[in-house]
Amino acid sequence: MSNHDTTAHEEHAHGHPVVSWQMQLGVLLVLLFFTFTTVLFYNAEKWVEAAFEIHLPLWVNIVGAMSIATVKAILVCMYFMGLRYDKALNTFAMLFCLFCVGLFLAFTMIDLESRDRVYTWKQGEVITGGTGSGLNALPRDPNFNAYLGKTINTQGMSIVEFRRQQGLEAAGSEKAFWSKHYHHHAEHRHSADINNYFAKLGYDHHNELSDANQSVPRRGITPGLFGAVDPADTHDSHNDSHSDDHGSSDAADH
Amino acid sequence: MQTTLDADTTPAPAHIANHPTHWRNRGFAHHWKSRDDDFEASKFGMWLFLTTEVLLFAGIFCAYAVFRLLYPDAWANGSHHLDWRFGAGNTVVLLISSWTAASAVRCAQLNKQKWLKINLIITLICAALFVFIKLKFEYAVKLGDGKAPGTFFSYAYAENPYEVLWWSLYYMGTGIHALHVLIGASLLGWVLYRSWKYQAYGPTEYLMVENSALYWHLVDLVWIFLFPLLYLIH
Repeated sequence: MSNHDTTAHEEHAHGHPVVSWQMQLGVLLVLLFFTFTTVLFYNAEKWVEAAFEIHLPLWVNIVGAMSIATVKAILVCMYFMGLRYDKALNTFAMLFCLFCVGLFLAFTMIDLESRDRVYTWKQGEVITGGTGSGLNALPRDPNFNAYLGKTINTQGMSIVEFRRQQGLEAAGSEKAFWSKHYHHHAEHRHSADINNYFAKLGYDHHNELSDANQSVPRRGITPGLFGAVDPADTHDSHNDSHSDDHGSSDAADH
Repeated sequence: MQTTLDADTTPAPAHIANHPTHWRNRGFAHHWKSRDDDFEASKFGMWLFLTTEVLLFAGIFCAYAVFRLLYPDAWANGSHHLDWRFGAGNTVVLLISSWTAASAVRCAQLNKQKWLKINLIITLICAALFVFIKLKFEYAVKLGDGKAPGTFFSYAYAENPYEVLWWSLYYMGTGIHALHVLIGASLLGWVLYRSWKYQAYGPTEYLMVENSALYWHLVDLVWIFLFPLLYLIH
């Protein structure tokens, strides 16, 4: 088992190969380099999209990040976990496991992509879950509620919409609601305004906020999902009384 | 060449050298033909266990893939709520700890008792640092904003009804990973304790160091994939 890059300390390691410290340090430096590379790639991609006002296809982002992660994982397995110097059986066990993971992912994806073609009754309206809109269901037995936390009733809304309505009620007006959000996130340098609501509401100075979303063209964010902002009339109107305008134009239409 | 890093030639005090837990006094189970058989079989058992760990995290990665395909907007929004700097910082912390864990195995193989302990201590410090960054700069801030999983979600400014799913998956993935960090740190802490008290690990007896380090590397491996999936892919 003596390898050219393992120091032969037979008397010390009892026949097991010992990976030299130079090799271990080198692998660490390569791993740190790849970490730097993947972060650089992520930021370079954002910069390119902002500078040339283009939208790179999503697979660039995914393939770039995941291929670097795969190289890093192989390095960790080979040198830190010692698979390169081990019995092949250990490598085989892990490769077989990864093969099974591949099957697991592949068949899930095939199902996701083709279930409506296999079963025609799945072509109809999809009842989506996971939004919390079923939280208004009362427990069948009022004496036994399996959920130990504070029970909430979202009144048929998704929990995201329900919490927004709660926030709007607490703030009093839509403008107060959004401006509070702005101040909070301006202090903490957060970047939560995906749809740039503040600019739409007339707060233009918030563009100084370091906001990743400003450099990434959004794709298909359901505009005006909750009727808070109508994206159609945001480009020309920069006044603070945006919500009032919106309300009055609605009234004029009717 | 190796002078300061050379093997520990100082003889252990008698009460340690004669202790049955000292590495020189350790035998192996009688049903094995040799010490090497014992070692290789145990290590293969550890690898089999690691495959089950990979399958556990594969479930989370699969859920990520399905939800990302079904709700790409929610996933893009969720990803932009995370700061890559904390993710990258934690990646560096875990990579360094993985290096010191591998070095600890090497030191045990070469009977460098002092450096074995130093490497283990650095690994444990990195583990604590990882959990600290996770809790202080990520979980505490996000939970304070109301970006919580499931019915605990109370963030009023979310834009996509499925963003709550992103947060559920975020806490599930990173939470189970953080649990593995704590378990791995406990294992390495146990190794450090026995090393400190009994010099329990040396060239002929380092299986526990090796297997604990393997577990720790798996923790690192999972984070190598969680970091781009959660922080970099949008």
